[in-house]
Amino acid sequence: MIIREFGARHARRALAQPAQQACIRALSTHPTMTTTALADLAAAGALTNPNGGGEPKPNKVPAIFAANAKGTRRKRPNEVDKTAEVHARGLQLKAQIGSLGSVVEKRYRPGDVFLNPPGPKDVTLELLMSSQAHMGHHASLWNPANARYIYGIRQGIHIISLEQTAAHLRRAARVVEEVCYRGGLVLVVGNRPGQSQIVTQAARLAKGCHLFTKWTPGSITNPDYILGGMKMQMVDENDEPLLGYERHLSERLPLVPDLVVCMNPRENYTLLHECALANVPTIGVVDTNTEPSWVTYVIPANDDSLRCLAVIGSVLGRAGETGHKRRLADAKLGIVEWQTPLDVQNFMNIQRKIAQQEAKAATIYNASEDELADDES
Amino acid sequence: MGGQRQIRPARVYQTVSNIMNQRILPHKKVQKPIWYDVIQSIPPSETLTRPFPPQHKIPNPKVRRPSRLYQPQQLVYEEDALRRQFYKDHPWELARPRVIVELDGRDAERYDWSKGLHQPGLPLSGESVVQRQMWMMYNVEGMTQEKAYDIVRHEFYALRHTEDIERRIAKEEAMKVGAYFGKSYMQIGMELEDREYESWKKWAGKQIEAVRAEQDAAYTNFGAAEEADPDSNDFGADEMDMEGEAPAEAAQTK
Repeated sequence: MIIREFGARHARRALAQPAQQACIRALSTHPTMTTTALADLAAAGALTNPNGGGEPKPNKVPAIFAANAKGTRRKRPNEVDKTAEVHARGLQLKAQIGSLGSVVEKRYRPGDVFLNPPGPKDVTLELLMSSQAHMGHHASLWNPANARYIYGIRQGIHIISLEQTAAHLRRAARVVEEVCYRGGLVLVVGNRPGQSQIVTQAARLAKGCHLFTKWTPGSITNPDYILGGMKMQMVDENDEPLLGYERHLSERLPLVPDLVVCMNPRENYTLLHECALANVPTIGVVDTNTEPSWVTYVIPANDDSLRCLAVIGSVLGRAGETGHKRRLADAKLGIVEWQTPLDVQNFMNIQRKIAQQEAKAATIYNASEDELADDES
Repeated sequence: MGGQRQIRPARVYQTVSNIMNQRILPHKKVQKPIWYDVIQSIPPSETLTRPFPPQHKIPNPKVRRPSRLYQPQQLVYEEDALRRQFYKDHPWELARPRVIVELDGRDAERYDWSKGLHQPGLPLSGESVVQRQMWMMYNVEGMTQEKAYDIVRHEFYALRHTEDIERRIAKEEAMKVGAYFGKSYMQIGMELEDREYESWKKWAGKQIEAVRAEQDAAYTNFGAAEEADPDSNDFGADEMDMEGEAPAEAAQTK
């Protein structure tokens, strides 16, 4: 047998009461609470209007049928502003009971990697493992050229050897540091969604350029057309701006990066190919299905994990920051490891020649004036 | 685009060296790039070669021509057997979602499996059972795999039971202060049973009708005037037959 409506609550009957209960109630010591039916009350006349009936009201037409009915919204009374009172009460309560209860510790915060970016010295196997750098793609989707970076297979995916990752990451960090020490321009690229913060932080630390949208093909091989009119600045060895080069800056070719760091080389073939054509070295995060020969320096790691790329970006950014600091410290002592670029040298030579000719012309003019003056006198 | 091997990126240094050395126009100045000395002192690492992969299992000595020698191997641990056993016995534990986010990679150093199944920062799951079982097997005198498994899984059941009670009480407390939930399992079960009952009733009705129809067809109808069609020409045909038979029977009985 099936019981229907199992668990239906039987509601308290508020009004109707059986007659015998009234008798029992009259005998009890409890104060009598007459819960009789409404009909009885009406009959007894208990529900008459205490204010008197007044005139009988004419038949009122409901507002929705009346053409010119006014809005019958309930008027809210003018509210007094109690914000200050409420706030004070809240503070009082917090002081009294705010410290009660358990303390929930937030030990992992994804934003910590941006507040306190780790450097090359903080690279440990534990850090890389917690950042999910060891997780490659499914074993059937691998690129056999990456076999040397793979530790084993687990749960159907290839596990990247974290010792390899750490070694390659440290090597790449040294390259970034040295390039920045010599005043090189680093371009950090990462087009996938979520990589913009990683890429901009790394570029900011390394005082380079960032790109988190699509690479416009031809930016390196056809720079006049693609990047024409970009603002540039001339600085000296202490990073102070130099005046007098405005004409050169408006006429010269756009800059080509000295080093390109790519977070997702699989989606940036065009960029990496252009860099190869223009002889620009590249560093790339290479997953188990990525082609390693597309980049100069390989960092075997998981390119699908934002946490992993944040660590890698921070490490390279910090390395660049160290390189720039060293460069400026050495520049104060007069040690400068870089030379003025050839196009700037040409411009300076031309300007020097013009200046010399002008000076020569001025001396001739002055000499001729003196001669005239001597002749006159 | 791609899948194609490129050689230019790895040879950037050699290419630029050749360009700088081949002075086609001797008077034209040549400047080495900023990164030239850097790559010279920090060359890129070896790529594309396939060294012998890390070995995770003892190779079979009988195999004379081992194939797949240079392929990566499966990672195996002794806990795998214990995990297989646990999840075979408790398949619904696989349906419980697991969070495998780590703090700093040194989480395992903070676990003390002698203290119990519940470790700070690690949700209760089959993994805790396996780790505690391993600890017992290696740290307790006279402990076998089966004994440790039985002890630990009973601790696990007690903890899961506690969790269930907490969930139930939490729901009741919430309902007391006005929360409302979706249908409970009891209600869903009752609705499914009701639906089955209704469909069974329809089927049963059809079966009854079919049986009745069979029974009716089995016996001829005596005095079934109301069933005869008033427009048919066979009016009285049955009666005539019956009249024919009845005296014959009467004659027989006599």
